[in-house]
Amino acid sequence: MSGPILVVEGIHKSYGTRRILDVPVLTLAAGESYVLTGENGSGKSTLLRVLAGLEHAEVVACRYDGRPVDLGNYPDWLRRDLIYVHQHPYLFRGSIFDNICYGLRARGLIKASYEPLVREAIAWAGVGALLDVPPHKLSGGEKQRVALARARVLQPRIFLLDEPTANLDAEARQQAIKLISDLCDANRTVVLACHDREIIELPRMNRLNMGRGAIETWNGGAVCV
Amino acid sequence: MDWLATTREAFALLFSGDADLWQVILISLRVSLLAMLIATPPAIAFGYLLATASFPGRRLIVVTTQGLLASPTVVVGLILYLLLSRQGIFGSLKLLFTQEAMIIGQVLIALPVLVAFTISAVQGADPRARETAVSLGASRMRSTWTTLLEVRFGVMAAVFNAFGRIVSEVGCSLMVGGNIAGVTRNIPTAIALETSKGEFAQGIALGFVLLLVALGVNFALAFAQGEGGMK
Ligand SMILES: Nc1ncnc2c1ncn2[C@@H]1O[C@H](COP(=O)(O)OP(=O)(O)OP(=O)(O)O)[C@@H](O)[C@H]1O
Ligand SMILES: [Mg+2]
Repeated sequence: MSGPILVVEGIHKSYGTRRILDVPVLTLAAGESYVLTGENGSGKSTLLRVLAGLEHAEVVACRYDGRPVDLGNYPDWLRRDLIYVHQHPYLFRGSIFDNICYGLRARGLIKASYEPLVREAIAWAGVGALLDVPPHKLSGGEKQRVALARARVLQPRIFLLDEPTANLDAEARQQAIKLISDLCDANRTVVLACHDREIIELPRMNRLNMGRGAIETWNGGAVCV
Repeated sequence: MDWLATTREAFALLFSGDADLWQVILISLRVSLLAMLIATPPAIAFGYLLATASFPGRRLIVVTTQGLLASPTVVVGLILYLLLSRQGIFGSLKLLFTQEAMIIGQVLIALPVLVAFTISAVQGADPRARETAVSLGASRMRSTWTTLLEVRFGVMAAVFNAFGRIVSEVGCSLMVGGNIAGVTRNIPTAIALETSKGEFAQGIALGFVLLLVALGVNFALAFAQGEGGMK
C-alpha cells in the first residue's frame, strides 16, 4: 500500500513510578484504519491525546510525511492535518452550524466559501433536522455525529477518535458506526480507541491491543521490539 | 424631620431634572464606566493567564489578588493620595482632586475583583472547550476567546461585580477626588458629605439612584443568564 504518514519512536509517559505509556515505535500508513483495544486504563486515550498534542509525553523521534516533528512543541501546520475527537465531544454554545464551521473559520475562510462545505457535512452526518436544537440539548449520539461532521469538514489526513460509540444506545451506535466506516473508506488515516466489536471487525481494520501502556499485539501477532 | 415630606422632595428633585443632582449622577457614571473600560480588558487577559498558565509565583499572585478583593477603598485612596500629593512621586502630574485621580483609584479597586472572578470563571470552564478549539486549528488568541465566550456568564459576573463595587465606593473617591461640586462630586461622596450638611432630600434621591443602578446591573446579569438557557 502507501508509505507511512506518521512514525513515532520511543513514546514514554509515567506518573510517578506508574508507567502510562511505553511504545517503542508506532507506524501509521496513509489511508489505513487502526483500532486500539485494551482494558480500561491501558493508555488508549493517552496515546491518542499525545499524538494530538493535547498531552505531553517523552518522544524520541517523530516523523510526519518524512518530515521531523517535535510533538512537545506541536506545530500549527500539523494540527491542521490531524484531528482528535473526544469520547464525549464538547459542542460550543451557539448552533450546530456554528460548531461545524468553527475550524473553517479558524482557517480564515469566508462565509461564501465555508457555507456549502458545512451544508454538505450536515447532510453527511444526518443532523439536518436538528439545526434549531441548542447543542447542549442534543443526545450523546447526536453530539458525536456533529463532532464527526465538525472534524470531517476540515478534511484532515488523520482522525483520532476516542471511543466514538461508547455509551450510545443501539440506534445511535449504528448511525455512528456508519459514519466511521465511511471515514475509514475515504482514504483517510483513522485511529480509534474502541471496545466495540462491530468496529473492530470492520474490513481492513488493523487491530492494536494495548496493555499497561504498551502495544502488545498487532493484528493478533506479537509485536517484536 | 418629616420623612414623608423629605422623600417627596427627593423625588421632586429627581424628576424635575435638578441640574446639580443630575451632574452628580453623570460624574459618577462617567468616572466608573471609564474605570471599567480601562480595567476590564487587561484584567480579563491576566485572569485568563493566571487560570491557565503555570509559572513560578502564580500561586502567590492568585492568593494576593483574592486578598485584595476586600481591601478597604479608603486605604487605596490613602496610598493614591500620598502618591499624587504635591510631595508624592507623581505629585508633578497635578492629578490630585481631579476625575482622573478618581478613575485611577477605581481602576485599582476594580482590578482584583475582575481578576479573581475571571480566574474562577476560567477554572470552571470545561477543559475540553479549549482542547476542542485547539484541535480544530484555532490560534492561541482564538482558543482563548472561545474559552472566554464559553464561560461568558462568569466573566460578566466579574464585570458587574467590579462595577457595583466602584460605583458605590466612598473612601477612595473622597480622598483623591475631594468632593468638588461639578468636578469630582459623585453619588457616594455627595450622599456622605451633603447629608451631614442637612441636604436630606438630595441624599435620598441619590441613594435611590444608586440602588437602582445596583439592582439594574443585577437584573441585567440575571436576564442574560436566563437567556443563555444553561443546563
Ligand atoms: N493525572 C494523572 N495522574 C495519574 N495517573 C493518571 C493521570 N491521568 C491518567 N492517569 C492514568 O493513566 C492511565 C491511562 O489512562 P487512559 O485514559 O489513557 O486509559 P484508556 O485506555 O483510555 O482507558 P479507558 O478504556 O477507560 O478509556 C490510567 O491508568 C489512568 O489512571
Ligand atoms: Mg479512554
